[in-house]
Amino acid sequence: MEADVHNTNAPVENGSLAPVDRLRHERSDSPTPGLVEGTEPGAGQDSAMFVHAQSFEDLTADDGEQEQELSEEGTDGTLETQEQESGESRDGGGESGEAQDTQAEEEQEDEEAQSSGGRDKEEDVTSEAWRRHRKHVFVLSEAGKPIYSRYGTEEALSSTMGVMMALVSFVEAEKNVIRSIHAEDYKVVFLRKSPLVLVGVSRTRQSERELTRELLYIYYQIISLLTLTQLNHIFQHKQNYDLRRLLAGSEHLTDNLLRLLDRDPGLLLSAVTCLPLPSSSRDVISSSLQAAKAKSLVFSILLAGNRLVTLVRKKDQFLHHMDLHLLFNLVGSSSSFREGEGWTPICLPKFNTAGFFHAHISYLEPASDLCLILVSTDREDFFNLSDCKRRFLERLRRRSAYQALQEALRTPSYSVSQVGIAELRHFVYKSKSSGLYTSPEIPIPYQSEEEQERLMGLYQYLHSCMHHPTRPLRSIYRCGERENLLAWVTSGFELYLCFSPLGTKEQAMAAISKLLKWIRKEEDRLFILSPQTY
Amino acid sequence: MLMISPRMAAGMQEKQYTPSLLNFFIYNPKFGPREGEEEKKILFYHPSEVEKNEKIRNVGLCEAIVQFTRTFCPSKPAKSLHTQKNRQFFYEPEENFWIVMVVRNPMIEKPNKEGKPPTIEYQEEEILDTVYGAVLQQCYSMYKLFNGTFGRAMEAGGVELLTQKLEKFFYRYLQTLHLHSCDLLDVFGGISFFPLDKMTYLKIQSFVNRVEESLRLIKYTAFLYNDQLIWSGLEQEDMRILYKYLTTSLFPRHSEPELAGRDSPLRPEVAGNLLHYGRFLTGPSNLKDPEAKFRFPRIFVNTGEGYEELHLIVYKAMSAAVCFMISASVELNREFCEQLDSLVGPQLTLLASDICEQYNINRRISGPDREPQFKFIYFNHMNLAEKSTIHMRKTASVSLTSVHPDLMKILGDINCDFARVDEDEEIIVKAMTDYWVVGKKSDQRELYVILNQKNANLIEVNEEVKRLCATQFNNIFFLD
Repeated sequence: MEADVHNTNAPVENGSLAPVDRLRHERSDSPTPGLVEGTEPGAGQDSAMFVHAQSFEDLTADDGEQEQELSEEGTDGTLETQEQESGESRDGGGESGEAQDTQAEEEQEDEEAQSSGGRDKEEDVTSEAWRRHRKHVFVLSEAGKPIYSRYGTEEALSSTMGVMMALVSFVEAEKNVIRSIHAEDYKVVFLRKSPLVLVGVSRTRQSERELTRELLYIYYQIISLLTLTQLNHIFQHKQNYDLRRLLAGSEHLTDNLLRLLDRDPGLLLSAVTCLPLPSSSRDVISSSLQAAKAKSLVFSILLAGNRLVTLVRKKDQFLHHMDLHLLFNLVGSSSSFREGEGWTPICLPKFNTAGFFHAHISYLEPASDLCLILVSTDREDFFNLSDCKRRFLERLRRRSAYQALQEALRTPSYSVSQVGIAELRHFVYKSKSSGLYTSPEIPIPYQSEEEQERLMGLYQYLHSCMHHPTRPLRSIYRCGERENLLAWVTSGFELYLCFSPLGTKEQAMAAISKLLKWIRKEEDRLFILSPQTY
Repeated sequence: MLMISPRMAAGMQEKQYTPSLLNFFIYNPKFGPREGEEEKKILFYHPSEVEKNEKIRNVGLCEAIVQFTRTFCPSKPAKSLHTQKNRQFFYEPEENFWIVMVVRNPMIEKPNKEGKPPTIEYQEEEILDTVYGAVLQQCYSMYKLFNGTFGRAMEAGGVELLTQKLEKFFYRYLQTLHLHSCDLLDVFGGISFFPLDKMTYLKIQSFVNRVEESLRLIKYTAFLYNDQLIWSGLEQEDMRILYKYLTTSLFPRHSEPELAGRDSPLRPEVAGNLLHYGRFLTGPSNLKDPEAKFRFPRIFVNTGEGYEELHLIVYKAMSAAVCFMISASVELNREFCEQLDSLVGPQLTLLASDICEQYNINRRISGPDREPQFKFIYFNHMNLAEKSTIHMRKTASVSLTSVHPDLMKILGDINCDFARVDEDEEIIVKAMTDYWVVGKKSDQRELYVILNQKNANLIEVNEEVKRLCATQFNNIFFLD
């Protein structure tokens, strides 16, 4: 846990640097009066849906706080806490071992299904092609045993990972902590989250902090499969345990998460985007979902691809973005949920690292993009939740909202030309209080995979400048040969704009107010303004 | 350096420490390849008191880091290592010779309740890699200027000679490193040029030609006024480091006597020669002294190709200083020095007062000395020209800046961004303190401007910078 601290919650209290830190919390003196937190376009009218992690700073801070929320519930006995005797009881039939088995099997099938676009593990790890990968990620145990490598097999890389662990321990022996190594065009970032060590090697322009946060995502991805309690338990019993035995078949989840991190602005912004939908339809869907409740149901989530349609939660229980992204990733990387109703244990680490939830995952129709996730605390709840789904669908059909939903699915996004701003190519707008963002579809010059990641890289660059831990900025305008960029962060929102290189500063300034007006006008459709609870 | 925060009450004082040098060492992994012989790899280690095993451990870590990063790029290994407590910078100036500088992060010591040791918070984001990487390279360049390459020392006298040279040079040099006041200017390592009209410039050039003509021994000449360069016959890279030495070490050491009163004992014997104000800054301090020694510092230039060893004669009259460089194979004697003094002294005195007059006219035109209207730093990669209105006059090797250190670091951040791609760019940021910082990069030139116009918007800031460019850099095209 020590590695988590990483300078984030260390307010600088000295004569020369103090003002900066203080000012960071005073973004409300933004030049747009009235757009303070909670009133910006896209801000929810009632309570927020998410844990109040509005900013990047919150996310990298220690996660002790959120865990408390559930610890009460845990003592009530409603949440199953891990009490497995041995991590190796896969064959012994411990209860969560069984759960793991089913999941692992499911995923193995997936892997076969996905084998076409799957992992190319048989890479030569001494080849130039292997070295040139934009971002490597390695996970190892404290004994230096390989657990995961994005490219190349863990076996081939076991000596490299051994060196990584040696470096970590060597620096620790001096009562110090290794953070990163910097070379001319790549960085190596270390994240120590006992009992695991994560290492990223990146040729992107991302800052050390951004890369650390991505490794944290990978760490939570692993926790979501095992729980931290079980993970600790395993390594306490057997230090050089080969964790790949437990994680077999889950590599594609990590692979997919890494792809999302490279492409999805939501993970960068700690926010989620919604399926554009008339608010009347969305309200009907939300209330139908709200009505289809069950005793142990905590969250009901309806997704359209990687967009949120609606989320209904138990009163007083909040979902963290990171947990929601892990759910997105789980659904997005497995095709098996299309076959029927899935039932899988999942730990939501930002909620509670100690226990499993049980998720009922199914598509509304086999060929549809609409996926329903019902999260329960009860391991035996499958049939109850299956019934919830049935009731939800019935209601939806009865109130003819299904039609509207199908309609909306045909245009899951919008083009930037609809906003009508000259030279504006793309933008990302995040409402801080609701934790939701909106962004048009990727325009033509950025449609290839490479260009899309380059655009994302530009946003990552802007984001890391704006959120610098000791020198944060109010705004940045960057004019280059290929595009002009503008970022603006206030207490209410974050805005990132990409203009053609022909755009002028005058146009950029005018674009901000025009765009904010447009978003205000469309906010009913683009955001979830009235989140529901059971 | 320790700074005590004034806001804290006595007794519960918070102590703030600026970055400081922890270790500085030079090693060659090929010198002690066998186990048990690791100590042989170490050619220099500061501080020398460090226990042998710790030295070996620290060198071992550097070797391991460099080796590890070769897994990902064999030709470009690690340049720096970030840890919670410090940063280490690696530089391999000659094959297998590694110089490592370990800088402790700035930290805050917070006192705790009685009996408990104070809490220490390390500020990990304060040090800019580019700045300290440049400082490390400068250390090597300065060593090389006075000692030649490591390789040559090895050829001449083996490890023994090399370690002697390293010890002798770095023992003193490291004490002059002021790590807490390093900034973007160290990254540029530029040269400030003296602005001059054509006539005066031609006068100087013809002066240099005349002297070189009369004293055929002179191989290279460099002419400076007021710590600013006017003319140089050296290669750019050699001039860059020589300029650094002159302006941060030699000139400051000799400026005190001139400022001292006429009767002060510090004032050197200039009397006896009423014809001119010329004197040697290197070599004999008084030509009339029968005991005078005619030894000049040796410097090494063109180490890449010709590899020349030269005597460095620095001769100064009023604010004008000239460096004459003569092959080290020639023995310099009293006769030569007197000849040089009588030839150069009167002419240089005259020239210096000409330049001074010109300088005063220029100053009158541009208005009296006051806070500059624009705070900016300009650097041209092609001729190394640099200009800063942010830095006050340097005292010894410390330069003071007139802006908040955080703003200087934002300049550094923008510079890092510019360095990444070879494209023209412009970046305008508004800091949390509402200061605007503008960075422009165009065709090898970089300009950074700090504006304290808190209520201005992007367009007004842009206009302001345009105005600056029009007055100061009217012939340079910057991307708009």
